[in-house]
Amino acid sequence: MTEIVLETQNFGYTYGGDFAAVRDLSIQVRRGELYALLGTNGAGKTTTLETLEGHRKPTSGRVSVFGGDPTDRKDIRPRVGIMLQESGFAADLNVRESVLLAGAISGRTDDVDRVIAAVDLADKASTRVGQLSGGQKRRLDFAQAIWGTPELLFLDEPTTGLDPSARDGLWDVVAGLRNEGVTVILTTHYLEEAQKHADRIGLMHAGRLEREGTLTELVAGETSHISFIAPAGVELPLPVASTVNGVITIDTDDLQRDLFTLLSWADRAGHTLERLSATSSSLDDVFRSLSTTATNS
Amino acid sequence: MFPIAAAELKMLVRNRLVAVCAILIPLGLGLVFLVQGSADGAPTIAALQIMLMLAMGVYVTATTTLAARRQTLFLKRLRSGSVSDGSILAGLVAPIAIIGLVQVLIVLTALSVSAGAPPVNVALLLVAILATEAMFVGFALATAGVTNSPEHAQVTTLPLFFVVLGVALWITLTGTEDLAWLKRVLPGGGATQLIMTSWAGGDLSGVLLLLLPTLAWAVVGVLAARAMFKWEPRA
Repeated sequence: MTEIVLETQNFGYTYGGDFAAVRDLSIQVRRGELYALLGTNGAGKTTTLETLEGHRKPTSGRVSVFGGDPTDRKDIRPRVGIMLQESGFAADLNVRESVLLAGAISGRTDDVDRVIAAVDLADKASTRVGQLSGGQKRRLDFAQAIWGTPELLFLDEPTTGLDPSARDGLWDVVAGLRNEGVTVILTTHYLEEAQKHADRIGLMHAGRLEREGTLTELVAGETSHISFIAPAGVELPLPVASTVNGVITIDTDDLQRDLFTLLSWADRAGHTLERLSATSSSLDDVFRSLSTTATNS
Repeated sequence: MFPIAAAELKMLVRNRLVAVCAILIPLGLGLVFLVQGSADGAPTIAALQIMLMLAMGVYVTATTTLAARRQTLFLKRLRSGSVSDGSILAGLVAPIAIIGLVQVLIVLTALSVSAGAPPVNVALLLVAILATEAMFVGFALATAGVTNSPEHAQVTTLPLFFVVLGVALWITLTGTEDLAWLKRVLPGGGATQLIMTSWAGGDLSGVLLLLLPTLAWAVVGVLAARAMFKWEPRA
């Protein structure tokens, strides 16, 4: 059986005694997994992550990392790399000094030049942090988290503010770390990143874990879509869900069957379907239905 | 602790404004007193120099630094590592305390030469300086707990700054005979008398009664900090 690296049992966190940011959260993450914790704004993702990182103590329930208390800096932290959603830099230190400082307090060892090169900041090694752009600071943040190849890596919205190329670079490094067996906990607002990289996904809303599973499990039962522009006045073989600016959308629970029906009909009748597009159900649909359901309930 | 202290020292020196406020101004103010230096007045001058320089160079600077590191979330970053909270605070405050000590030693050496009257009991003077530093560090930790930003520190440090300097001035102007007990237990009172005694020499039987209130204030500061210190702006 694969080792459980991280576990919460009925974990709750209440701010100021009356605002429950996280309620009754129970999750398990196995060694080598990439677990994405997603949710609406204010869902409690960052509070959950910061508790798992050991920055906060749970106000109820139990949280364990490597079987121990995550606030135990001496024994647990040397095994953990943390990229916070928001954290400060020493503006008057340069990139190299900043990475060295983070390395020195991490409890792990590494080669500073290797780490700086891994995040593509080698040409900025002597630049003071105060002179870096937002994206470069985010990469510096990432460099500090991956120093010494931790066993468990927390990434709290790691690609916010990064351009597409830098995002790809970051995910390449994460892929390399995963090949070495590193477990990753991710939060992000970019659902396509979670969809592409996560082994399992937890969806939070208003402090609760509403759904959890693999991407396939989560999107099962969600509606796929076919959209196109049909010649005027024709009678379609499938019911229309909506028409916007002439673009017809058909919702389907069986994309292959209904697409075949539509294309066969168009072929037989000699119709051309312009701007034809077929979209499988995605995490976006699950996320939107979660938000809508939760708002309506 | 040492990597944090080394980084903090670099930051202190590299930021010109901070360097001027934390290093040059206290040093300059301390040296101004040398104009008044004479053999008879040396113990009084030394006490005022030390209290002023440490109040400004250690207490105000440390409070401001801690508030700034919290406001920029640098404290949170440091807490993401494997070092303890105590080591983080020690690393942040140590360079300030060491610079303060060096400044005081420079000015006191200049005073000894210019007044022609070196301290009688150097060991006791060092103890007095270190106890005073400990007191100001304790005060800084406590004050940082109620200070939201570096700008806010300009206000939150004023009460203790003026109380401690006021007490030192009161003692140097009126002596230690009247209201002896009160002058001893007020913040900075024991420290001022300890410095004067170590410089002038004489009866050392009451040294413990002066050292204890000074250290007690340091402990009060640390206990207050434990209760009030915040590591994050929104905590």
